[in-house]
Amino acid sequence: MATLRLEKVARDFSDGRQMRRVLFPTDLTFEPGELIILSGPSGSGKTTLLSIMGLVLKPSEGSLFLDDQDITKLSDNEAAAIRLRSYGFVFQQPMLIEGLSVMENILLAIGIQGGRPPATARSKAEALLADLGLEGVGYFQPQLLSGGMKQRASIARALIKDPAILLCDEPTSALDAESGQAVMGILKRTAVKDRRMVVAVSHDTRVFPYADRLIKIENGRIVADNRERYVSQKEIIP
Amino acid sequence: MRSRTAFRMVIHDRSTTAGSLLGVVAIVFLVGQQLSILFGLLNYMSVLVDHSGADAWIMSKNVRNSDAGNLISVRYIDRLIGLKEVEWAEPVLIGNGLFRTRDGSYESVRVVGSRRPRFAGGPWRFAQADERVLLDLETVTVDRLDLSKLGNPGLEEITEIGQRRVRLRAVTDGARGFQGTIVFASLEKVREIARLPAGSASAILVRFSEHSDTTDALNKLRAILPYCSVFSTTELSRLTRMYYFTNTGIGGSFGFSTVIAVLIGIVIISLTMYTSVLSRTRDFAVMRAIGARKRDIAVVVFSQVLVITGIGLFLGFLMLATLLKTTGRSSIPSYFPDYVPPMLAFGTLVVSLLGSIIALRTALRADPAAVFH
Repeated sequence: MATLRLEKVARDFSDGRQMRRVLFPTDLTFEPGELIILSGPSGSGKTTLLSIMGLVLKPSEGSLFLDDQDITKLSDNEAAAIRLRSYGFVFQQPMLIEGLSVMENILLAIGIQGGRPPATARSKAEALLADLGLEGVGYFQPQLLSGGMKQRASIARALIKDPAILLCDEPTSALDAESGQAVMGILKRTAVKDRRMVVAVSHDTRVFPYADRLIKIENGRIVADNRERYVSQKEIIP
Repeated sequence: MRSRTAFRMVIHDRSTTAGSLLGVVAIVFLVGQQLSILFGLLNYMSVLVDHSGADAWIMSKNVRNSDAGNLISVRYIDRLIGLKEVEWAEPVLIGNGLFRTRDGSYESVRVVGSRRPRFAGGPWRFAQADERVLLDLETVTVDRLDLSKLGNPGLEEITEIGQRRVRLRAVTDGARGFQGTIVFASLEKVREIARLPAGSASAILVRFSEHSDTTDALNKLRAILPYCSVFSTTELSRLTRMYYFTNTGIGGSFGFSTVIAVLIGIVIISLTMYTSVLSRTRDFAVMRAIGARKRDIAVVVFSQVLVITGIGLFLGFLMLATLLKTTGRSSIPSYFPDYVPPMLAFGTLVVSLLGSIIALRTALRADPAAVFH
């Protein structure tokens, strides 16, 4: 379990001639056990915020704390080590690596810094796949799976490391409604039952009912931070 | 897991893998066949020295290769055979002559005469008959690869070399010189053909006694023959090869074509590896995002290179072995010393790694933030 805290985090981008601020100083604290949805129109800065939280983009100003450890100015390797240890990522597209089987894609998340994944990892991956409704597809190539199945496989890749933080970028936008509901159900369960911090970027209003906390961003500023629970946990978590 | 990932990528990306393989195979095969011909020619250059069976060669002063010595006196042999370090000393005569073919045309040949009964410096391998036929004064040999050039003379056929009657009574195997066709005969016959003065020799070949020290023995020969050049067989072979290599343009020519082959390989490998990495940029960004360090990406790229190079080396050497087997007994000079394949493999690996540098730079620039879009 981890707490992520942002203090006056801002980000500027330059097009070579002029500097543009896409995220204004932001203070936020994220706790485990919640599904947090970052919402806002295109270009509002939500993906920038997610990238900074995921340590793949450095803020121009402000500080980022993981369990009170300042992780703002980590070296490239230190940031990679924290991403490997504490983070799981689900992208807009599943981004499974072609050529690797589903199982190898999942195990890569453990073995990317070298070494053979532990013997238990394979059985854990199989259990995860079964849990996500993908029993028996571990040795399939990704191109044989549907979009929804691929996204669920990418969730398995993110969860194989038992990450404290799961960051999801538009996880349902490439899926049909039914698959999208299924994926959100899995994310909700991951947050609440497994006590993880799950942060998802989405502008799809259909996923808002799953949120424990809904943060709205417009023009690089937080305009709403709502903890109202839309749907009872019983309805979503089987 | 990183190398496994690299292997899977190589297998999956068939078209780019095939392109990179082509680059590696091109290097191994093109450079390999260039080297095999170069070493084949080097063998030709010093063929008489290398197969003489002697430990030392005595020639006229200041010679620069084994083919360009002045005549020396055979009386030096008397001084040599008295030494305890010398087991035997034999004269060799080397001259030129025109071989009359069946249709009346002439071919220039190099005639090499050796003394009976040892025939040191004479033929060493036969395709037909053996060295005993050289006991007959008229006998000459020609090499099987030169038979067609000389009009396909048959055994026991009588013809002329240097307007002197000779009888072809043996066919040698692999006795070809850099300066052309080699014909072996007795010392007396060569003296007659090349019209060389009695009592002279082109070189004196010396075999040392079994327990003598080669360096000491060579120094002793140099001391008692101050007006001659005394070489160990290895020294003269190296001197002769180096002379032709640097003075005939062979070195430059082969060096240039080898460099071209290497450059072609580098360009092919660079382009195909770059294309491969470019099409995988998103995957490398995903790897970076899920926790790969830059060095992990480098391991994946280099592992891909190693896999491709390994397969390319296998295919390249297979093709090269087929070529060498095919041309081994033909008139194309080809020879591959044992130490060359490991050096060629290592060189190819270095070239492959060099060729992948641009691809590696591209892979390392994959931005993990790029996956959040």
